[in-house]
Amino acid sequence: MKTYETTIIFDPGLEEARINEEVDKVSQSISQASGEIVEVQRWGKRKLAYNIRKRRDGTYIHIKHKSPPELIGEMDRRFRLNESVLRHLTVLAVKESPRVEEPGRPAEPAAAEAVHAVSPNMEEKV
Amino acid sequence: MAREGESRSFRRKFCKLCFDKVDRIDYKDDRRLTRFITDRGKIVPRRISGTCARHQSQITEAVKRARILALLPFTSEQYR
Repeated sequence: MKTYETTIIFDPGLEEARINEEVDKVSQSISQASGEIVEVQRWGKRKLAYNIRKRRDGTYIHIKHKSPPELIGEMDRRFRLNESVLRHLTVLAVKESPRVEEPGRPAEPAAAEAVHAVSPNMEEKV
Repeated sequence: MAREGESRSFRRKFCKLCFDKVDRIDYKDDRRLTRFITDRGKIVPRRISGTCARHQSQITEAVKRARILALLPFTSEQYR
């Protein structure tokens, strides 16, 4: 079981209840795969740096969760099929290294921070 | 900065992130990352910003992720 961070950008036109529904769906799939939700952050509506599917804003949801690696691919597939998801990104969460301030040697070996699933719809860029 | 002044205004570059004792740069921290991209949205090279190797590679990674999430632009509006 690994800790991941998934950020999802929903269509800004979606109302609160629909978003909660979608978030519930995700958390259900995680707990069904015997994963665990660590934290759900709602960043709310934010302006996008560039338009995605002609939308200027998006509703951001950030979920930190412990999941079996097999689930990530499945999650990715579902987000792609989901019309109300503008964009999503899942990365491995950085282990918070215990801040031991050794003189001269900064605590570092928690650098196992690789990208796992990236799937923007490339054709919208540029 | 150092080049044009011809030794007069010479000032050694230093890694601002090391100076601030930043342990890890987060892709969600777009406010901090905007300092390391140009107005066109490009990542500022190390030779300009003076960042150390460790922090530069963290910046690169973080900026790329932030771009995917539309927190940072791939390119600025007017050059599109």
